[in-house]
Amino acid sequence: MSLDLVFAALADPTRREILVRLLQGEATVSDMCDPGGLKQPTISKHLKVLEVAGLIASDQRAQRRPRRLQLANMQVLAAWMEPFQRQWDGRFDQLEALSRAQSQKEE
Amino acid sequence: MPNKSRFIVDQTTHTLRAERRMRATQDWLFSAWMTPAMLRLWWDPSGVPLAVCDIDARVGGTLRLVSAGNEQHGFAGTYRLIDRPNRIEFDAMGAAGSVVFRAEGEDTLMVVEIRCPTAEHLERMLQVGVAEGTAQTMDNLVAYAKAQAAA
Repeated sequence: MSLDLVFAALADPTRREILVRLLQGEATVSDMCDPGGLKQPTISKHLKVLEVAGLIASDQRAQRRPRRLQLANMQVLAAWMEPFQRQWDGRFDQLEALSRAQSQKEE
Repeated sequence: MPNKSRFIVDQTTHTLRAERRMRATQDWLFSAWMTPAMLRLWWDPSGVPLAVCDIDARVGGTLRLVSAGNEQHGFAGTYRLIDRPNRIEFDAMGAAGSVVFRAEGEDTLMVVEIRCPTAEHLERMLQVGVAEGTAQTMDNLVAYAKAQAAA
């Protein structure tokens, strides 16, 4: 699972709306089509992005493939990655500051 | 924020990856990883120099890094490959680590990978990270409380 994919998936307002819709329970593509709103191909495209990111899953056995949230996946990832990210981000910040200090000294 | 890091978990190969592009040469960054006087200054994310920073910079040589005030949790490993200024590989805490330095114009892209032998190991590794992160949050809280009390 790639965090880049997760963040990219969450960056779009329509996709966030779909996730909110799925908070209420599983739904098919046609459930998510609203009159005068998004069309089926557009929704399918967004669902694909969310699925690749691991944020939702579809039931392949059911013909209409209802989608549901993979909240556990998301929470687990966020909870585990956060300290790792903070640790390495902090390290890289220190390293960058050190490099800046050194190049200033040389100038 | 062009300088921010990228983080990736690849669950199929049980690998954690952290990337950062920096305004520095490959050679300088390589030295920053392999010179104790440099490494001890940046390894601890809080900016406090390491209490212990032992580096035996040859293949089969060991490294040992211990943060100040956290003497019971150290980072220990063995170098597997040292290829200035491109690549460092080491075994540490049962996982395989690598650091790659790739020149990109005036910048260098640094890629740190930690490859765990199993999914369970990856899970444990991340849980240790959680524990460390929590410990650090507590430390920061204590430092903050002290500063408030002194003010």
